[in-house]
Amino acid sequence: MRIGRQTYAIDYGHLALITLIAAAVFWYLLDARSVSLSINNLLLVQPVAIFALALYLFILPQCFHKVDARAAEKSVDEADPFAVKLSTDRADVIRMAALGLSLGLMVFLLDVIGFDIAIFLFAAAAMAICGERRPLHLLGFSLVVTLVTIYGFRALISYPMPTTLL
Amino acid sequence: MIDFSAFNDALGIMFTSAGSWGWIVPGLIVGLVFSAIPGISITMAMAIVLPMSLYMDFFSAIVFLTSVYTGAGFGGSVPAILMNIPGSPSSFATTFDGYAMSQKGEHNEALGYALFASTLCGIAGYVLLLLVIEPLADIVLRIGPVEMFAVAIWGMMLLGSLGSAYISRGLLAAALGILLGTVGMNTAGFTRGTLGLPVLLDGIAPIPAMIGLLAASQLLSLASRDYIIEAEGSREVSLRKILKGCWGTMKYPGVLLRGSIIGIIIGAVPGVGSSIGNLIAYAETKRTAKDSATFGKGNPKGVIAAESAVASGEGGSMATMLALGIPGGGATAILIAAFMMHNIVPGPSFIETQKPMVYAIILNNIVQAIVLLAVGIGFIYVASNIMKVRTRYVLPAILVIATLGTFAVTGEAAGPITLFVFALLGYALNRYQYPVSAVVVGILLGRMLETEFLRSYQLSGGNPLYILERPGAMAIFAVMFASLAMTAWGKRKQNRAEAAEALAMEKLRDEAAAHAAHTTPSKG
Repeated sequence: MRIGRQTYAIDYGHLALITLIAAAVFWYLLDARSVSLSINNLLLVQPVAIFALALYLFILPQCFHKVDARAAEKSVDEADPFAVKLSTDRADVIRMAALGLSLGLMVFLLDVIGFDIAIFLFAAAAMAICGERRPLHLLGFSLVVTLVTIYGFRALISYPMPTTLL
Repeated sequence: MIDFSAFNDALGIMFTSAGSWGWIVPGLIVGLVFSAIPGISITMAMAIVLPMSLYMDFFSAIVFLTSVYTGAGFGGSVPAILMNIPGSPSSFATTFDGYAMSQKGEHNEALGYALFASTLCGIAGYVLLLLVIEPLADIVLRIGPVEMFAVAIWGMMLLGSLGSAYISRGLLAAALGILLGTVGMNTAGFTRGTLGLPVLLDGIAPIPAMIGLLAASQLLSLASRDYIIEAEGSREVSLRKILKGCWGTMKYPGVLLRGSIIGIIIGAVPGVGSSIGNLIAYAETKRTAKDSATFGKGNPKGVIAAESAVASGEGGSMATMLALGIPGGGATAILIAAFMMHNIVPGPSFIETQKPMVYAIILNNIVQAIVLLAVGIGFIYVASNIMKVRTRYVLPAILVIATLGTFAVTGEAAGPITLFVFALLGYALNRYQYPVSAVVVGILLGRMLETEFLRSYQLSGGNPLYILERPGAMAIFAVMFASLAMTAWGKRKQNRAEAAEALAMEKLRDEAAAHAAHTTPSKG
């Protein structure tokens, strides 16, 4: 993006995250105000929400980098020992997204297809996403994970755990 | 300083609940193993095993979780010394001299120094806690809602400002956490943010949210790696040399003492924790040492200073948690969650009414530090193999355990769904350098903050000048602003120290390369 003579790179992921957070905070503030305008309701929620929205405006410019400055910032990030280093490589991001998606499918299908089948399918999918291609290892290890966790947690917890086969 | 009647009762609890002693060794092993795997942090290990403690009695649950905490304090130093990769941020300063010693072939001695410093200073931290808990209880009982609110805000501000390279992002994470913690019905009976879901009336389930934010989000990010860490070839382990290192630790009482004091003080400040304590202890030891030029090149004092601060910091953070009910960071947040799972609220009233239990918890931690010495030596033998783990086996197993753990807590699919939602949020926050632990502590403290704020408002009748009648609260706010200023100053100092260490390591490597080139006979 060009503004004047300066070219800016936009970090769309970061922009989406903080906008989503700000939207959620704004909705929460409106929801709280719609319940009651009593000070007993809004005493903490309102100032913290306004503070969060002000921070959003403060952080917003951080999503726009001058193209020259971006390279310099990268080298600073690399030197920070506490910076969380997540791969931004396309193939790695796809792997992480696929693992997140399979986790989501598992948790929403636990009650539908049973804990045993959902866990088995998730374990196999997760192994495949992480690079396992040998069918025997894939099925064998997934089966072990399913058996150990289902029987282990069944012995541990008092709630009924819906299963289809086990 | 010690209430001897309560102390005797504590010994009674210790000896009558012998079953809980059995949880020390498994807890230590879990902590050692998890923290020795870079990428899996202390808080992640504690979050994953937290649901298991639901089915133990209260004392056993706390013994198990604090054992994980104690084991993890030392476990992170093993890859730090052997591979120059800190298992957790609290072991970062250990890499400076630990790895340099390893390069000189003194890895066994370095591990011995680290282990014995951890044991001695872990004990020192808890002995001090044992002595101060009684006077501390008297002080905290005089704390009113205004002061509690001030302390909680202070902790959140520090957690937000320290957890990230960007203070603004840390504060946004803290604010988001507080708002998430207030979802549901508040103490005045108003219901907000439930989306019409009855399950949210009591608020967001903190334990599944915590496991999602701290553990699952980090695990998702490991999917891109084949091995969690590409380990160097395993090094020869020698018990004799480790013991020599242990014995050598005794030659540096000043370093141990300084490291312990820094660790305890830094550990007691909410939001700071051992990840900063080890760096400050290292920097101070180096600054005051006569042989400061050898730091970063394999000086044992560097290893001892860093490890003593990590180990004693645990006692300091437990003091804040037990006395005020405020978690200093992710690990103590999980301990508070364990208290809550057993319907116990830590804080002034807990110390007053359950003093023998408080003493028993402290005494048991001293026992854990002693047991760590034996378990730690055994662990060093297997550690180099544990670190070389393929993600394809670890990830599915741990994610399934974490998911079923949240089901064990809630008894319905809401637990796993909360884990999933917060895993995605945690992943996104990590990706853009927002401190996830600030969100976790916010979720835990949100309701308490609102309740104390409401009480303060009712007591003051809405008059803001009421704070002038509360010198304690004014002092806390003054300390809060002072510590924020110190944080900014400390960050600058830390960055400079790290840059200097990186330079020293670079120099050392160049020297070693030049030496190797010089001694290699030329061919032909």
